[in-house]
Amino acid sequence: MIVINNLKKIYSGVTVVNVPHLEIKKGESVGLVGNNGAGKTTLFRMMLDLIRPESGEVLSNGEAVAGHENWKNYTASYLDEGFLIDYLTPEEYFYFIGGLHQQSTANVDDFLSGLADFFNGEILKKGKYIRDLSKGNQCKVGVASCLLQNPELLMLDEPFANIDPSTQFRLKSLLKDLNKNKGVTTLVSSHDLNHITDVCDRILLMEKGLIIKDIATGSSTLNELEAYFGVGQTVSAALKVDEEENH
Amino acid sequence: MTTTFIRHELKAFWRSKNTGKSIAIRIMMGILILYLLLNVLFLGFFLNKLIEVIFPKQDIVVSFCGIILLYYLSDLFMRLQLQELPTLRVQPYLQLPVKRNSLIGYLAFTALLSVFNLWPFILFVPFVIKIIAPDSGAIATLAFIVSLAGLTVFNNYLALYIKRKSNLNGWVFLISATVIMLIGLGDFYLHLYSLRNISYLFFGHLISKPTLALLPVLLGALMYYLNFLYLKQNLYLEELGSRKAAKYKSSTEYPLLSRFGSVGDLAANEIKLVLRNKRSRSALIMGLFIMLYGLIFYTNSHYGEGWKIFVGMFMTGIFIINYGQFMFSWQASHFDGLLVNKITFTDFLKAKYLLFTIISTGFFLLTTPYVYFGWHILMVHFIMFLWNIGVNTTLVLFFANRNYKRIDLSKGAAFNWEGVSGNQWILSFPLLIAPYILYGPFALLHHADIGLALIAITALIFIFTRSFWIKQLEADFYTKRYKIAEGFRNK
Repeated sequence: MIVINNLKKIYSGVTVVNVPHLEIKKGESVGLVGNNGAGKTTLFRMMLDLIRPESGEVLSNGEAVAGHENWKNYTASYLDEGFLIDYLTPEEYFYFIGGLHQQSTANVDDFLSGLADFFNGEILKKGKYIRDLSKGNQCKVGVASCLLQNPELLMLDEPFANIDPSTQFRLKSLLKDLNKNKGVTTLVSSHDLNHITDVCDRILLMEKGLIIKDIATGSSTLNELEAYFGVGQTVSAALKVDEEENH
Repeated sequence: MTTTFIRHELKAFWRSKNTGKSIAIRIMMGILILYLLLNVLFLGFFLNKLIEVIFPKQDIVVSFCGIILLYYLSDLFMRLQLQELPTLRVQPYLQLPVKRNSLIGYLAFTALLSVFNLWPFILFVPFVIKIIAPDSGAIATLAFIVSLAGLTVFNNYLALYIKRKSNLNGWVFLISATVIMLIGLGDFYLHLYSLRNISYLFFGHLISKPTLALLPVLLGALMYYLNFLYLKQNLYLEELGSRKAAKYKSSTEYPLLSRFGSVGDLAANEIKLVLRNKRSRSALIMGLFIMLYGLIFYTNSHYGEGWKIFVGMFMTGIFIINYGQFMFSWQASHFDGLLVNKITFTDFLKAKYLLFTIISTGFFLLTTPYVYFGWHILMVHFIMFLWNIGVNTTLVLFFANRNYKRIDLSKGAAFNWEGVSGNQWILSFPLLIAPYILYGPFALLHHADIGLALIAITALIFIFTRSFWIKQLEADFYTKRYKIAEGFRNK
């Protein structure tokens, strides 16, 4: 579904992303891990044609992402609050996104009622603009707007970072369901190694812009990742989850 | 501790986005502020002459003493709207081992560092030195200056106190503003009392009894103490912030716009943007004030035919100019979202045209009462309305493609320089000059109507070739989109 060739991004002399070749097949669920500054968000942004790479290209269904718009029809993404129109109420935002995909408001309402558990009564009919919601609730709005688009490719940047434990578990089962039962290709980044190994079949580990590990998730994956991140410490103490990066 | 605060404050000033961005803007700001101060100083210096002209029958000292209180009343009204609360800055210190009293003292003290506190001195002290000092001696002069200081401090803290209270309850602001206006009305329309006499009652006696100066000082001190106490009891984030108490925000739909599909949805979103954010809303409200331009220009035969072009263009197109000059910065905070969603840039642009057309039509309809000054004026307005939605919209959008500055919508409009760049200065030239290039030569040859017709024809050509311009703008955008998005991401 996605092919990346020779992708490079340089900021003031420092190479922040350098991916010679990467292929993500249809129906895969891929997790992206790495410390702050490893280049995860930059990679995401290049895949969404938000920043121009120094060299290389990203192909989505065989067509370059840059300069084309077809990928927008089947790609849904939420990287940060910058994706939300914050002076709208969540309802207005959902209707707007639904409208872009030719869905009527009744359709959208119907879809949203299916997410009642995920929202946990904190999003709809609260009489608040998106800017007045907490970061976690904004994240819920972003994720829900992605699901609303019935995507074939779903990209989420650190969706677990600000949401409460119950929502984390609900989000995990949502993602699994989308991938296993609906065949959606998912690409998720996270600092939570437990969640990411649970949700994803394939883990990409980034360090200083390079993908240094590309592993299929197995019983030993979590230990392997913990060993990597807990350099020079005992494994149990190493499991320290990073705070949300500030974008 | 206080010195540390002051050092942090200075750093905050020099490093803030508004001051730091570019030297050119800083210089422009400096010149503008200096110019304003000089104006006030000039006014202060010649206040005695001015008073003689305005109140020719009265002794100037009596008139002067009469206007001081009036000034402070209007000063309070201005402060209520424009002065900012120096509050959220203490947030990072609240949880640190810093004495509460020193924090509050600092907060209360820095509130004095406002331009508003300079004005009364610049305005009145020259008069006091020129007129009162020679007549009544040093002690009376000192008494005047001390009372001015006392009243300034009193006004300063009263305004802040009302503003803090109204953060918790919006009615407080409304009621205080109404009370001030009623006080003014009571004097000037109902003649129940005379503020000038009250003012003279105090300041007139000040000359003979300088000890009266203690009264305003006492009032100022009292107000300061009240503020100090209030802050001490309410040093919590939610009460400090400038956020108003939340109301229920309901969703709205514009059924008329939804007929236009995605374009209509985008335009509807932008209308919500304008109405729901402070700074963009004031761009719209400014436009309503510009509607009064006609009263200034049309009632005065001194202004010739050529001015009608200018006035007509501004009245029907002020929103396009005022709001459009900062495009697409208004959407900076969610520009990434617009880029990755299923929105073509053609639709995005069409929505802008739709928005401008709707609002300009509204403004044009509002100017129709000027038909009172003749049908010709209405025709000029209509032609300039066409010019606005034809030529000026395209011009504004062309410059929007060259605008890379982020705007934070949550901030107010007064003295907000965020998003300002050289772009706006450059844009103003073609906006102002273009219609006169067509109109000017014919007007000079005494065929002004041909000039007008030419403007109308050009405008119509632009309107009918809109899709062509949209294509050009789109191609232009694709060469600049990364730079725009990058600039908008820079907080």
